[in-house]
Amino acid sequence: MLSVEDIKKTFTLSKKQMKIERTNDKKKVAVDHLSFEARRGEIYGLLGPNGAGKTTALRCISTLIKPDVGTIKVNGVDTTHHAAKVRENIAFLTSELKLDDHFTPNYLFRYFSALHNVEEQTMLERKKMLFNRFGIDQFQEVKIADLSTGMKQKISIAIALVHDPDFIIFDEPTNGLDILTAKTVIDYLLEMRDAGKGIIISTHILSVVEKLCDRVGIIIDGALKAEGTIDAVCQTHNHDTLEDVFFALMQDAKGDEHA
Amino acid sequence: MRNIWTVFKKEIYRVFSDRRLILTLFIMPGLAIFLIYSLMGNIIGAQETQVSEYEALIYTENMPAEIKTLMDESMHYRLYDGDALDQATSEQKVLEGELELVLLFDEDFTQKVEAYQTNSLPDIEVFYNQAEQRSLRAYNLFNGVLNHYHETTVIERLSEPSDYQVFDLQTQNIMDERAFAAQGFAMLLPMLIVIFLFAGAMSIGPDAIAGEKERGTIATLLVTPVQRRDIALGKVLSLSVLALLSALSSFIGVVLSLPNLMQMDDTMPDVSIYGMSDYLIILVLLMVMVLFIVAIIAAVSAYAKTIKEASMLIMPFYFLAMIVGVMNSFGGDVSHDVITHLIPIYGPVNLLSGMLRFEYQTVNFMVTVLSSLGYTVLLIALLNVMFKSERMMFQK
Ligand SMILES: Nc1ncnc2c1ncn2[C@@H]1O[C@H](COP(=O)(O)OP(=O)(O)OP(=O)(O)O)[C@@H](O)[C@H]1O
Ligand SMILES: [Mg+2]
Repeated sequence: MLSVEDIKKTFTLSKKQMKIERTNDKKKVAVDHLSFEARRGEIYGLLGPNGAGKTTALRCISTLIKPDVGTIKVNGVDTTHHAAKVRENIAFLTSELKLDDHFTPNYLFRYFSALHNVEEQTMLERKKMLFNRFGIDQFQEVKIADLSTGMKQKISIAIALVHDPDFIIFDEPTNGLDILTAKTVIDYLLEMRDAGKGIIISTHILSVVEKLCDRVGIIIDGALKAEGTIDAVCQTHNHDTLEDVFFALMQDAKGDEHA
Repeated sequence: MRNIWTVFKKEIYRVFSDRRLILTLFIMPGLAIFLIYSLMGNIIGAQETQVSEYEALIYTENMPAEIKTLMDESMHYRLYDGDALDQATSEQKVLEGELELVLLFDEDFTQKVEAYQTNSLPDIEVFYNQAEQRSLRAYNLFNGVLNHYHETTVIERLSEPSDYQVFDLQTQNIMDERAFAAQGFAMLLPMLIVIFLFAGAMSIGPDAIAGEKERGTIATLLVTPVQRRDIALGKVLSLSVLALLSALSSFIGVVLSLPNLMQMDDTMPDVSIYGMSDYLIILVLLMVMVLFIVAIIAAVSAYAKTIKEASMLIMPFYFLAMIVGVMNSFGGDVSHDVITHLIPIYGPVNLLSGMLRFEYQTVNFMVTVLSSLGYTVLLIALLNVMFKSERMMFQK
């Protein structure tokens, strides 16, 4: 189980950022008392508009940054105090990742396996399995530079999973991917869920949530505004579709701002 | 330890798996230096032989036999054998480099010299062109001839010739080939080494660190259980080894081109003027500088968001180091002040050129090495802090 309890994350903005964000406030609350739980064997989706704090929340969960307050536990282990231990059980992925052109898939897989302390034999088995699953086999010794964008994306998933983590945290899994690669990625995530992994994704695309997520949390301005299965969320908020709920909540948030 | 080694190996592999990087990092520096300096040496050498062996073309009128005899003894020259020239034409020819020297003596020069007590003094008119090396050289040689003539004439006129003599001059050029070669090393090498160390490290450092941030792979790296310190160390150490290899290439280029550069024609300019211990000291200084430079570049690269930004931010440091190098090459004497050896880059460079001139001082060596290593350790600590800092790694 992965639990997020009342976390808050504030950034200090530079002058340049203040201009971009059109604010006079030096402090920017990116995540505002966020709580939720994700279980193994399910896909949890954080749905929110640009700047809602999705990436920030996922980075906190992945131990890349620390929340100001609140706690996050992965299998009961605290991310702030036992980051190294937590890292053995999570993978962090984003579709924005660009692998270094100079290396081959084979080299990168071995490299990250070494950094994750994976035994040689286990590494070979996992490599065989993952490379086979994503059709990387025949490109093992080809430099990243010479591969297609879709293949690169599949490789970056494979190398993020060298240590067979319990939880997979995936920021915007299908952003910028062509339909075919996006489908491969979605199919794989479903497959991993069925294999008992816990998966947390972020997205601003409704259809991704509908296709993929068992439960969804709608995050706006860093705070969770609705949570549950898609049906439950629609029911609680008296709308027919998730889309309607989403826009209604966005409207509310705007109203609050002006009030 | 194992993780440092893993990160280290990856960065090394990255460069050695790229033929273009191998070329720019390890082959180009040495080759470029070798070609440039060999060429330069050949040009300088050619010029020198041309000037010293050139037969100056001289136009004269009424040259006294006594002076001609003196000239025959002390310079290579040929007399202009065309028709008599008027003054304007001869001046023009000197200006255009067709003639090196024009010497116009009074018609009755010798008689006038002999009848100096009753007659007016004879004239000599000389035209030369200071902007032309050959003309200047011919003029200087001719001046020597005149001085000699003047002196002997005065002595003849005196009743007590010994009154005129003040000293017996005996000049010998006892140039020590070893010191001469050393001077060349001391001037060139430290500057070149600083420049090439920097250039080498600059071509890989930003990619290895800022590149990870730009590509987003830093997150993949930082969610591994590896300690930030190990990542920082692995990167710095691999970059140091690569930069050192690159510097070595430049070094070999310099050593190979030195014979040509210094025109020490027959004998190899002996890098063998230095002994084993000298080389060891040079190597230690090189390492110390490499570590410091790489640490600076790594810190700047960890601060920058993109490779491009990193390359830009490194420039001021590069220029500073270059100024230190140039100052050392053209700024005269080596400093023996202990305090100045605490200044990073300056200290090692100063010591290096001192040591190449056989002015080595153990205290300063220790001060430089220890302080440089100290700065490097501080920079690596800073790098470690930066790798841990959310702000640095995930800045917007
Ligand atoms: N390192 C940082 N420094 C300062 N401000 C930041 C930083 N990271 C995020 N922010 C700000 O925090 C807010 C939330 O950003 P975040 O990237 O988490 O949103 P997001 O939901 O992932 O948005 P997007 O859909 O654009 O990816 C934004 O206003 C952003 O500008
Ligand atoms: Mg985001």
